[in-house]
Amino acid sequence: MNQLLLRKILRQLKIDPEDHEAQNTPRNILMISAEYLPKDLTPQSLHCKSLADGLVDRNMNVNVISYDPWKAGQTVEMGGVKVHYINNPIKTYSPLTWALTLAMEINRAASDIYHRDGGIDLIHAHQWEMFPCGLSLQAAIKKPLIVNYYSLQHHRAPGVSNGYTDSVKQIEWRGSKQSQKVMVNEDWLKNEIIKYYSPEPQKVDVVNSEEKQWTKKIVRDYKWVFRNWNNGGYEQ
Amino acid sequence: MKVMHLTWEFPPYKVGGIGTVLEDLTRSQLLQGIEPVVITCGFEGKVGYENRDGVHVYRFDADYIPAEDFHSWALQMSMLMQNKASEVMNEHKDIGIIHAHDWLVATAAVGVKHMYRIPLVSTIHALESGRYGGISGDRQELIHSLEKKLAYESWKIVCNSEFMKRSISYSLSIPHDKIDVIPNGVNIDKMRADFDHGAEKAKYALPHESIVFYVGRLVWEKGIDILVGAIPSILEKQPDAKFVFAGCGYMTDRLKKQAYDLGVADKVLFLGFVDDETLKRLLNISDVMVVPSRYEPFGITAVEAMSCGLPVVAADTGGLAETISHDIDGIKVWPESSNSLAWGICRVLGDRNFAASLSENAYKKIEKQYNWSSISTKLKLVYDNVSKQYSANDWKPSMPISQDS
Repeated sequence: MNQLLLRKILRQLKIDPEDHEAQNTPRNILMISAEYLPKDLTPQSLHCKSLADGLVDRNMNVNVISYDPWKAGQTVEMGGVKVHYINNPIKTYSPLTWALTLAMEINRAASDIYHRDGGIDLIHAHQWEMFPCGLSLQAAIKKPLIVNYYSLQHHRAPGVSNGYTDSVKQIEWRGSKQSQKVMVNEDWLKNEIIKYYSPEPQKVDVVNSEEKQWTKKIVRDYKWVFRNWNNGGYEQ
Repeated sequence: MKVMHLTWEFPPYKVGGIGTVLEDLTRSQLLQGIEPVVITCGFEGKVGYENRDGVHVYRFDADYIPAEDFHSWALQMSMLMQNKASEVMNEHKDIGIIHAHDWLVATAAVGVKHMYRIPLVSTIHALESGRYGGISGDRQELIHSLEKKLAYESWKIVCNSEFMKRSISYSLSIPHDKIDVIPNGVNIDKMRADFDHGAEKAKYALPHESIVFYVGRLVWEKGIDILVGAIPSILEKQPDAKFVFAGCGYMTDRLKKQAYDLGVADKVLFLGFVDDETLKRLLNISDVMVVPSRYEPFGITAVEAMSCGLPVVAADTGGLAETISHDIDGIKVWPESSNSLAWGICRVLGDRNFAASLSENAYKKIEKQYNWSSISTKLKLVYDNVSKQYSANDWKPSMPISQDS
């Protein structure tokens, strides 16, 4: 709806447009990502950093929980984004066991943010390793979850079916089903997710970080998800 | 007070002893004014809520978890458990303690503890370092570090013997004052059985034979190979002995071969898994119970046998060493020694009066020290102390979590 028209209607209804906007905008965003700049292993770290910076520019409080054994326990403020570093104290032997045990520390850090900053409005989990914890946080604090895919297990291990790959695929499937929005950076990946995991097509959004104003598109998605969540548009 | 128990096994689904212990414990907690809420795995479609004699039981679907091994299965199961626990928290908003049982539920327990800021109490029923006589290999390292994390995150740790207290303190680097010893118990009424003893015995042995009974998993730590190794010496002195083993495990074939190689295969009966009713009857018709364990945190099978008036011969190891008073209410023998085990078994089989006095004393001890009422009273004291410390602590939720949006 045209913003000017919306504001006019709201004024006629004696609703302050600023209040209405505030009520429908998530303010406290929790991002969880195994990578975050300056640690730069894959394009995910740059994507997360750019997204967090863009959200801060749009007046959102952004907390990021990321993995870095050397900085574990520290909270570093970078351009308004608070980055909380954690380590995994468990000795693991596969990315799957690593992800599932790291969730304990993410929970602890998320709880500190939640109880100190007065809540979390929306959780944004990046790549499958963060989905188990994203889903647990969603179940606990009852706030919407957005999941971001950068690749799929079907492509990382094509044609392979064993206990490990099937577990990761199930986690990816859970993420696509139980989240409120799925984000990818290209149409091809969107089609692949729909092909393998069958989420509703309108739930999957393509947001390319090389496009101009891409964070604006994400904020629009955030607002849409948040509004629907608050209006009971999702099964909670 | 409401307590949320996190356990991967709970009746009717049982693997080890945790399920049985928790069933008796939660029932006795009801009598203490504690309202137990159990979160556990559901298999074969048995999911959802059950009110089990007043105990709230919530089961989540654990049937379809793909995994490369048991360890990654357990971690995924624990993730689902945490989600179920969060769901249940909305129904039971006044839960005051999270009580975790063993490493399998560690990630769920730590997650729930932090998200809801509720104190965590853990019972460590056994340690990985004890099960395999040390830690080696990446799978064991995983479990060991999970045990460490669970112990670190717990306000109090409960274990079932002084032996376990020392082991936890040493193996996981936990101070002694953080650990409370509360033994497991036995429900004596549940162990009584009314049936035709002669007919039941005929299923396993000839009328003149004496049954030497073992129940437990057929795995290395249980020392069942030591018992098989003792059979020839026992038969020399007690040719009418018949050996009946209940339980299954990865050593089954090896043990059968061992018995065959020793020429005693015709005197040994491997029953495999037996249900509760069969076990109860076996405990009531046997002549001696043997617990030859290399590692035994507590030894619930010995306590169950004692509650049935069955004389027990046990290795002087772990929790068994504390449960049994030698020559008074049982016989303790050298661990890892077939000769010593043979001596103990022959002593019981060869002197019926002595065996009867052991039985009588054992029963009295169980009735007095291992009843669930006194055990749940001790556990309630632990909960009360933790709650008191929690009340005086700053670590609390700043606002209620999981408010419905």
